[in-house]
Amino acid sequence: MNALIEFRQVCKVYHMGDTDVWAANHISMQIYQGEFVAIVGQSGSGKSTCMNIIGCLDVPTSGTYLLDGRDVGQMNKNELAEIRNEKLGFIFQQYNLLPKLTLLENVEVPLMYAGVPRGERRERARIALEMVGLGDKLRHKPSQLSGGQQQRVSIARALVGEPAVILADEPTGALDSRTGREVLGLLKKLHEAGNTVVLITHDNFIAVQAQRIIRLEDGRVIYDGPADRPEAVVTPQLAGEGGAAV
Amino acid sequence: MNLMESLALALKNICASKMRTFLTMLGIIIGVSAVIVIVGLGNGMQKYMEDSFAEMGTNTLTVMITGRGSSRAVSEDDMYRIVEENPEYFDQISPTVTMTGAVKIGTESVSSSAVTGVSEDYFSIKGYEIAQGRGLQYVDISTRKKACVVGEYLNRTYFDGDAVGQSLKIGSNKFAIVGVMAQENEEMEEGGTDDCVYLPYSTAARLSSTGTIGSYTVTTVSENASSQAKALLENELYDIFRDDSAYGVISMMEILDLMNSMIDVMITILAAIAAISLVVGGIGIMNIMLVSVSERTREIGIRKALGAKERYIMQQFVIEAATTSLLGGLLGIGFGYLFSSAATVLITQLTGEAMSVIPTAQAITLAVGVSAGIGILFGYLPAKKAARLNPIDALRYD
Repeated sequence: MNALIEFRQVCKVYHMGDTDVWAANHISMQIYQGEFVAIVGQSGSGKSTCMNIIGCLDVPTSGTYLLDGRDVGQMNKNELAEIRNEKLGFIFQQYNLLPKLTLLENVEVPLMYAGVPRGERRERARIALEMVGLGDKLRHKPSQLSGGQQQRVSIARALVGEPAVILADEPTGALDSRTGREVLGLLKKLHEAGNTVVLITHDNFIAVQAQRIIRLEDGRVIYDGPADRPEAVVTPQLAGEGGAAV
Repeated sequence: MNLMESLALALKNICASKMRTFLTMLGIIIGVSAVIVIVGLGNGMQKYMEDSFAEMGTNTLTVMITGRGSSRAVSEDDMYRIVEENPEYFDQISPTVTMTGAVKIGTESVSSSAVTGVSEDYFSIKGYEIAQGRGLQYVDISTRKKACVVGEYLNRTYFDGDAVGQSLKIGSNKFAIVGVMAQENEEMEEGGTDDCVYLPYSTAARLSSTGTIGSYTVTTVSENASSQAKALLENELYDIFRDDSAYGVISMMEILDLMNSMIDVMITILAAIAAISLVVGGIGIMNIMLVSVSERTREIGIRKALGAKERYIMQQFVIEAATTSLLGGLLGIGFGYLFSSAATVLITQLTGEAMSVIPTAQAITLAVGVSAGIGILFGYLPAKKAARLNPIDALRYD
């Protein structure tokens, strides 16, 4: 089986004055269809860069990124917009709903850019909102909703286009622990329904909800394996000491 | 995402901030209405002039003979011959001899009256009607009769409406009043069209100091023939005088054309000045669109992340600018009509002339076209800026 997401020696270098910052330093990994993967790291570890590249918002400086077999690095802005629309569903920490639109219209946006006709769009958006438990608030504006509800709208928006990958960037970061758990539960449900979910977080307690953890530090992968192994969650320093003790 | 959806989105955004949109439109509203009123004013002026000239006769040529001493002269027979030989151009002719000196009625001296020697055709050339008695006739002219026709003003003021059969004096000569002209102007006044005396040109020429006929009024078969008729008359007169300073031919149509083109130039300049406010309005739109792009940076980022291509973002902002501008243009038309009606009332009341300000379809189409064009032109730069935003930066923007 071919990987859905494949990084081959991906590097991303930012020029800050005289120094080069390696936000991604020869990262190689593969994520398969139906996986639930958490990419974990402290701030500055390169996980945001990783998320931007996976999300086709940015392209690598060198190396190859294949999404569903297509080389994203060679794409122009228009093709990137197209592949984002077609293959990816975004869930952001700040929900990023459009405040002037109703929930229904918000969920319709990706379908509108995909060129889905109005009637079908409406119907699919309604079904997606019902799926996240907001079928009774279709005409509400985002500002009338709680944070957890807004995040559920953004989940509906992410899955309405039936993307290959659902990419969640700190989805619980702005929520209290109870609503955060609800949202995580929803992501798990999506995974159980066969979706590929990539979760980006700095929080180990969130990350362990996934099947597999990819831990980043200083732009490198320092752990890639099942979420239930102790090495997956220990801090790198401790892992280093543990390694020395063995 | 099609154009209708972009339009709906634009209207939604416009409605969301009505006050701001109205202020943005204001420049366009003022510009469009100013252009409409000014062009309408010019149009009204032209129509007013054409009407006035039509009253005087746009198919009228006036020939002035200044002469070259006694060696060469043109007689009324020469003039009649020219007219009769060219029936495809000329219709009627009448010599006109303007007399100076006061008219005496009884013991009163009336200096305001215009005294003119004319032929029997003069009344039909001018479209004057005879209300009482008769007009001048060929015999009056050939026998140099001392007969005259007076205007209604003199008739009413000095003869109590019963002038026919009475007499008046010009200089020391007594003239019998054979007819009274129908009233020409609604309001008669001293020195006006109705304050006049017409006598046979032959009599007038003999009484005047020079003894010659200085001018002729000639009508052409149509307005269109007047420039050719003028050229023909000038050629004939040149053949007689061999000197083009000895005569002059004035065409009413030419004067009208000249005045029309002067009005055109004036109106074009005024409209151009008014159009400057359209440009200023356009800059206002650009300014607000730039603010709007900054305000909506995050929205643009979200839309781009969700798959909006650059051209969709571009389309959205250009259409929003064009819609704002076009709405301003439409409001401007409304105000233009309103101001035009107000100006018509004002002009009529202030000057007493029946001049109206008439907005033209051409000016309206142009103004709306220009306002939509300005929206697109000045919306382009902000839209380009929006479309080029990097989605990562835009998403992070607060």
